[in-house]
Parts: sequence; C-alpha cells; structure tokens
Amino acid sequence: MTTDRPASISTLAVDWGPEGQPGDTLYQRIDGQLDYPTDLLNLPGLLHGAILRSDQAHARLLAVDTRVARTMPGVHSVVTAEDVPGLNRFGIVVRDQPVFCEDRVRYEGDAIAAVAADTPAQARAAIAAIRVEYQPLPVVEDAASAENQPALHEGSNLLAQESLTRGDVDQALAACAVVVEHEYRTPRQMHGFMETEGGVALPDGNGGVLFRVGCQSGHRDVEQLADILALPRAQVSVEAMTTGGAFGGKDELTIQPAAGILALRTGRPVMIHLDRFESCRSGMKRHPVAVRMTTGCDARGHLLAHRVDAVLDTGAYASLGPAVLENFMDHATAPLYRIDSYAVTGRLVYTNNGLCGAFRGFGGNQATFAVESQLDALACKLGMDPGELRRKNLRSRQEPGSRGQPVRWTAAPATVLDAALASPLWQPGNPAGARWLTGTGLAFGAQGNGLGDGLPDSGGGRLSLTPEGRIRVEFGFADYGQDIAGAITRSVCDALGCGSADVEVVLGQSRGPDSGPTSASRSSVMVHGLLSRMLPEWTQTLKRLAAELTGQPAEDLAPGTGGLFLQGRRLIDYRELAGKAPPDALVAEAGQDFPVAPGQETPVGRYLQLQIATIARVMVDRLTGRVRVTDLHHITAAGRVIYPPGYLGQIEGAAVMGLGMTLTEDMPTRKGRMQRDNLDQYLMPTIGDAPAQRVDVVDDTPENDPYPIRGIGELGIEAVTPAIVSAIEAATGVRVRTLPVSPSALLEAIQAREAQS
Amino acid sequence: MQADPTQRDQIRVLRPATPREAVALAKTTGAPYIAGGSGLQPVWERNGSWPRQIVALNPGWPGFRGIEETGQGLRVGALTTLGELAQHPLIHRYLPCLPEFMDQVAGPGVRHLGTVGGNLCAGGDLSALFLALDAQVHRLSDDDPQEQCQPLEDYSAGDGTLMTALSIPDSRQWRIGLEKLGYRERFSPPRATVACVHDGQTMRRAVCGEGGPARLRSSETDQDTELTAGGWQDPALRLAIQRMLAFLQEDIARDH
Ligand SMILES: Cc1cc2nc3c(=O)[nH]c(=O)nc-3n(C[C@H](O)[C@H](O)[C@H](O)COP(=O)(O)OP(=O)(O)OC[C@H]3O[C@@H](n4cnc5c(N)ncnc54)[C@H](O)[C@@H]3O)c2cc1C
Repeated sequence: MTTDRPASISTLAVDWGPEGQPGDTLYQRIDGQLDYPTDLLNLPGLLHGAILRSDQAHARLLAVDTRVARTMPGVHSVVTAEDVPGLNRFGIVVRDQPVFCEDRVRYEGDAIAAVAADTPAQARAAIAAIRVEYQPLPVVEDAASAENQPALHEGSNLLAQESLTRGDVDQALAACAVVVEHEYRTPRQMHGFMETEGGVALPDGNGGVLFRVGCQSGHRDVEQLADILALPRAQVSVEAMTTGGAFGGKDELTIQPAAGILALRTGRPVMIHLDRFESCRSGMKRHPVAVRMTTGCDARGHLLAHRVDAVLDTGAYASLGPAVLENFMDHATAPLYRIDSYAVTGRLVYTNNGLCGAFRGFGGNQATFAVESQLDALACKLGMDPGELRRKNLRSRQEPGSRGQPVRWTAAPATVLDAALASPLWQPGNPAGARWLTGTGLAFGAQGNGLGDGLPDSGGGRLSLTPEGRIRVEFGFADYGQDIAGAITRSVCDALGCGSADVEVVLGQSRGPDSGPTSASRSSVMVHGLLSRMLPEWTQTLKRLAAELTGQPAEDLAPGTGGLFLQGRRLIDYRELAGKAPPDALVAEAGQDFPVAPGQETPVGRYLQLQIATIARVMVDRLTGRVRVTDLHHITAAGRVIYPPGYLGQIEGAAVMGLGMTLTEDMPTRKGRMQRDNLDQYLMPTIGDAPAQRVDVVDDTPENDPYPIRGIGELGIEAVTPAIVSAIEAATGVRVRTLPVSPSALLEAIQAREAQS
Repeated sequence: MQADPTQRDQIRVLRPATPREAVALAKTTGAPYIAGGSGLQPVWERNGSWPRQIVALNPGWPGFRGIEETGQGLRVGALTTLGELAQHPLIHRYLPCLPEFMDQVAGPGVRHLGTVGGNLCAGGDLSALFLALDAQVHRLSDDDPQEQCQPLEDYSAGDGTLMTALSIPDSRQWRIGLEKLGYRERFSPPRATVACVHDGQTMRRAVCGEGGPARLRSSETDQDTELTAGGWQDPALRLAIQRMLAFLQEDIARDH
C-alpha cells in the first residue's frame, strides 16, 4: 500500500480553457431547449396516457368499474390489473409492487388503472370517470411500531433487519468515562427533479416495444418490462434519453409499465408524463430515518463504544430499501473513526407512507448526520475541541475500514481534517445581542463507490470510429444532468490527444453495451476502467491502419485533433481512415467488474473510498429562528479530477440538495397522506438560498493507482447536514436533532436560553 | 364563488369594457375578478376545480395602472404590478425601504404578473405596510354610482367591490421598518410580515400572514393576547412577530 506523503491541495474554479468549453447541450439545457423524453410530442399517432391512482392510503379494492371511461370521447384503451400481460409486479430488489393493484391499495398514489386517449385532457377525464369502490383498512403510519401492525405484504411489516457488531458494546459502554445518547430524525425528502417522471412507449410494429424514457438503468428495466409485458427480452428496448434530473428517483420503473401495456394494446405510441401534483404524491422519496445512538469514550476522548438502533420507513413497497438500509448501516458504524466496539442494528419496515427508495446519498448521509452529531456531543461533554476529538480517533490511510475490510483512500483522513480546520470560515461569531447570530461548524464524512457488499456489479463499453470519422464511445449510462458525456469526452481527449469535436458519446441504449445502473457513484469509475482497457489497443490499431495507408512508421504517428499527426503535421484525418479501414477493424469492446478489495471472497462494504469535510457558516435570525447558510467550504479527497466543471457542479449541487433536506424539505404524511402537493408547499432551496461555496481537492492519489478516478455524484451531500447543524449550535448554543430544522423550535430554544442567562 | 371541476381551458373570460361594467358583471354572474391571476390560479389548480367564468380586469382602464404624486402622497393603481412597484422612481423616493423588501416577495416571474390590488385583496406581503401607512382604498361598488374612498383596514375584498387604486400618505419624513418571515426566504408567501411606521408622532404597527392582515393596537404587554384573539394560533409564530416588532420599534427609535 501507499505511504502518507504530503498531499497536494487545490481549489477548484471553473476555468473554461480552450478545450474545456462546455458542450452545446449545456446551454441548451439552461435555455430549456434540450429535448427530454416528455418533449417527444410530435410522434405520429401519439396517444396520451394517464394513471388512476388510489386516493386511499390503505384499502381493499372492492370494484373498479371502467365501463363509462371506455365510452368517453377520444379514449382508445382502459387497462387494469386484468390486462397486465405478464407479471403484475416489479421492483429492483424485491418484486412486490403491482403495475395495477388487484385487490388492495397500499399507498395514496398506488396505480389502479390507466387510460390512453387522443389528448391529455381526454385521458384525465376518462380517469375521473372510473368508479372505484374501496373498503378502508387501518393505516400503518408509525414506522417504529409498524412490525406489530397488520402486515401490508406476506409475513410481517419488518422487511429487513440487519446488525453489524464488533466487540462487546455493553461492556465497552460500561467502561466509558463519557457517554452521550441521542435520537435523530431525518425527513422524507423528494428528489424534485425539474422533469417529472415520464416518457413514451412505442410499439415497434413487430409485437415489441421501445421505451424512450427518463430512467437510470435501461438494461435492467428491459428485464423487468419484458416480464411485465410477457415479451422476450429481445423485443423490449429502452433508450434512456437525456432526462431533466433523476437523483435516484427514476431508478425504479415509473410510468414504463403502464405506458408499455397501453402501447401494446393500442398499437400506437403512448406518452405518460406525471404532473407535479402526481409526482409529489406517487413518486419515490428518501427514507425517513429515526435513529438512537449511544456513543462513549474514555476521559481523553478515545472512542470506545457506539450503539445504533435505527428504523427506516420504506413505505408501501421495498424498492431499493434493503440496499439503502445496508448503506445506512455501513455509514452508521462511523467508518472514519476507530471504535473498538459497536453494535449497529437497523430495521426496514413497510408502512402506508408513500414510497421510498434510491436517493443521492442512499441512507449514508442520514447516518453521517447522526454520527457526526454524536462526536460533537462528546466533544462538548469532554470540553474538547471537536476537531481535536476527531483527529484523535481518525483512521490512518493504512488501516482497514470499520468492518475490517480493505479500503482504498486517495488521501489520509488526517490531511483532509487539517485542511478543514484551516478553513477561512473559522471566524468569531457576531457579538451576543446582535440580530444575526453567526457560527461555523464542521463535519466529516466518507463514502464508497459501487453497489458494494458483494452485489453483482459489472459493466461494459464500446469504442468505434464512425464513417464520419468521429470516435464513438458507447456506454449504457443515463445522462440525467450530471454531464457524464462531458467527463467521458474529456477522458478520451486526454488519453488520445484528440479534440472534443472528434468524440461522439452515445449513452443509455439498451441495445448497446450494458454498463450497469447509473447509480451508486459508479459510472466514472467504470468509464475510466473500461477506457483504460479499450483505448491502448484501439489506438495501436488506429496507428497501424494509418501506417498501412500512408506508408509511414506506426510508431511515429500520434492521434490529435481531426486525425493522425506525423511530426506535428496532420497526415490523415479520421474520416478518411474510417472510409478506408476494413469494417469492424476499429471496434473495441470491454467489460469489467466494479473494483472490489483484492483477496476477499465476499466483499464487505465498499473498497474505493472518498472523503469530504464540509465547513458551514450560518446566520441565525434571533428574531425568528430562521437559518441562512452563507458559506460552505468542502475539502474533498476523491481521486484525480478529470473534468473540473463536472466535479464542481456535483459537489456544489449535492450540497445544496443536502442543505434543502437540512432546512426546509420534508414531505410529512398524516394517516398515510402526503401533506405537500407541489413546489410552493414543498420548499426546495432556490438560487436565493444557495450559499457561496468553495471546493478544495486533496489529491494524494499514487501515480500508479489503478483506480485514480472516483465517482463524486453523491459525495457533496455526505457531510453538509451535520456541518450546518453544528454551525447552528455554534451560533445559538442549540443543537438540532430533528430535521428539517424548525425555525419555530429553534426560536423557542433560543428564547429559553436567553431567559436562563 | 361558483366552481366546477371543469378544465382550465373551458373557463369563460369575461372582458368588461369599463370598470363599472366589471362591477355589474361580477354582481350578476358571481364570477371573481382576476388581476394577475398569480394568487388565484395556484389555488384553483390545487383544488382541481376551476370557476366557470372570471371577470378580467383591464390595466388599460384610466387610473388602474401606474403611480403618481397627488400632493398628499402617492396614488397607486390597483393593477400596478409588483415588479413596477418595486422599480418605480416615486416609490424609491417615498418608500425607500420597499424596493429591497420586494425582493422577498415572490419571484421575478410572479412579480411580473401579480398586482398591488391582488396582493392586498389576498392579504399578501404588502398588507402590513399599507395598513401601517393608513392607506386609503378607492373602490367601486354596485350600489354606489360614485367611487368611494375608505381606509384599507375597513376594506373587505370579495364582497364584489372593485379596488381601483390606493392612496398612500406622504411618508418621506417618516420612519418605516419592515420584516418578513416565510418558510423560505423568497418565493413563498408570508408566514408573518410586520410593519412599523412612525410619522413623527405616533407609531403604527401592522401584521399580515397566516393570521390574516391586521393593525395592532395593544401595548407591548398585551400584544400576545391581541395576536391570539386575531387568529394567530401558533405560539412560536406569535413570539417571532413580537420579536420582529420589538426590533423594528427599537431600530426606528434609534434612528430618530
Ligand atoms: C410561486 C408564488 C409565490 C408567491 N409568493 C408570494 C409572496 O412572497 N408574497 C405574497 O404576498 N404573495 C405571494 N404570492 C401570491 C400572489 O402572487 C401575490 O399575492 C399577488 O400580488 C397577487 O396578485 P394578482 O394580481 O396575481 O392577484 P389575483 O390572483 O388576480 O387575485 C387575487 C385576489 O384578489 C382579487 N382581486 C384582484 N384584484 C382586485 C381588484 N382590483 N379589486 C378587487 N379584487 C381584486 C381577486 O378576485 C382574488 O380574490 C405568490 C404566488 C406564487 C404563485
């Protein structure tokens, strides 16, 4: 392994150098000109679909009467559970969600029927004309007691229970000089993508269906859709089109099953696009977590014991809940710190509270919020500086992870912490009595890449030269705004020396290479690995063919902008080469497994690890309790930066998403009903709420590291929440443990403290 | 209001030629007035129920849009948009605190549509300031051939009367403080907006938001009771209102 050596630290800035110009699609995106799947409104013969959703959180379905709806103007087809050709179930981990409910609805928004009509208004009118008879059932709304309530599925409402233990935590706790115990709660956050769930299903004329949709894993969706539609997989294809945001919320199937069934029924393309109300009600959310943590240390601040008891509310169906639980548990072990004994238990339960599944951070950021808050609480009780307490317990780069597994960092955690403690945001607060109370807080987090824990995780890619002379790079990943195409282009240009106009990136075709899901911060790692496999040999072939055509020695040729160069002069351009090369001579394909620790039979946790320390500066209004985050400074250690605008965008964007979860975003339920129905009630941060941010990179990746590129799509959300609540405490003396921060509760606590002093 | 679960594209938009005709149409049809629609439209959409017809107000009617000096202060047409209000040179002179405050009222798109009259009729952010300024409402009603003038405090929107304009006293020498608390800093209606106006002799205070718009008249010690009686049920919100008021009063006194 590597040894610790001084790290290089740099601050990222957007500097669009000559080759760094953003692709055209960036401006199109900003202008609203880029076509998303739900913009495909000019398809010949397009019908509009709509879905009838349950208005009950939990009920028996006694009757679904579609007779009137079928006779309504413009209606082409009305389908219910009886019309599902194949399996009436889907779900990435557990196939427990019906395409259309048969005899029972389990959440407000469960799908019951769907209509295809000439216009969206006609489809909605027909939906309104379907008569449903419900017999209400008791609503399971309290996650903590869900497993003792009537089961929503076979067995009990306890979908999964996991524990991770090390040492004897009871004994260790008894030996602690200082122990803190607290309960933390996190909200049901909504992804809030700008393009709500949607897309179109097109019959291919031969009994098959093509989906052009916003999704995150076309290949996996093909498998599920083929089973639902009772079609061989070869007859189902998915084009994961550039979509207006996903963040995990389009990982599971959304409108595809209903659109596919209607397209097969009518023989016409069918578009379904949820409006914001429907998306709020029926769409995926982040798992709310209630967790109690008991953490202890000796008198000098060495962590000795850590106990965690968590309940995650997955809602009516499993979706990726079991995997979220696993990632939560992993992060709840406090992976950055050495703790001899821990006992982490987590329960994942079904309730009638909507649907929860994948969401950037994936349970990890909820755990890190609690873990880092515990460390602050211990430091406070010890009278020790929180940075000092962390430093004492940080793992070194050579140590294994918290579960004993090998891990691979790109910098020493202590280096990242030191950089964070040197942040210019550490300023004294405003004097007592000032209107705006100011404070700075720090939190530290680690995050791994890949699906982890030995789950099957692999993917492939393809490289070719098009007849037009462009270097085509194909991956199965979806572009949902993260600009992976930009990162891929940059990687190819860096490796080949060609220009960005020479590169054509093709993404998200289920008929193309399967790269695995666009999730778990895995794409950049896979792209780098696969390009490293394909490019050297492909470049050799390119040079060899050029040598044959020009009579120059291959070793003297070098690819550059537009073609191959000899001593600085363009000898032959790619187009000519493409025209003269034998077909398929310039096609390379590769596949690989996602990197896991060497020598592990069943991999534990995640091998490729990243770190982030976030320092937050806040202002709290003494008059109202409202909180403004003015600055965020992130110190990241996530390998080499291949595409600075992408890196910056991901860290800053994820941090604002975390800020939203911390301060305003929540979708509360009452009796299983969502209490917010649109973005004027569900409050996401706007540009006016976004703080000034600075992103620093500690890149101490060894020259010969086989995995120098890491995926940073989720890193920015990891530590922002505990950093903000720590800053709030620095400003006000009040520690918030229930999110989002309630200005009212904060104000009352501030007043109580004022009254005391 | 007559409402039907009809489609939004089936709404009949009545376009009266004159303000008088608007009042008569509203009376006979029971249809609501619509100005910028930015307050009404989201409510209809949320409820999934659209009115059969609406009475469109026309900013081209004389005196309905724009701001002018009257000698005693300003006259603001009811259909003046929030954006125009925020940028108007007369407002910068008479109410210099307002342009900056307007940055917290909705967003640019909504301010482009939303009107001063609509905001006041809906009890929006401007209500607190205009109440504390003792603004006068010019209104037309069906049973009165003359345009009448009455204090904003006594004006009740929704009874079919049409707000044509507002008169604001000359406040150039006055001290004014304004504070807004929303669930979010911007682009969100007020939970509570408070205004304090000192005209050199007396301090006038007003509040609007979740508890509705109101002038506040009690002493500091009775303020909590007054707010509770006025419909402000949330104790933490009452606390915030009182702290904002105390801060503004102190600020104004210090300036003096
Ligand atoms: C996203 C969003 C954010 C918002 N944020 C804020 C905010 O921060 N602060 C805030 O105060 N408001 C906010 N609003 C609410 C609204 O936009 C404003 O209050 C706006 O000023 C209303 O004006 P309007 O002309 O659009 O009113 P309309 O919607 O046209 O009408 C509102 C009401 O007033 C009546 N009315 C309108 N004009 C007259 C008249 N001349 N005579 C008699 N009755 C009349 C109508 O019948 C209706 O009852 C927001 C709205 C949206 C959609």
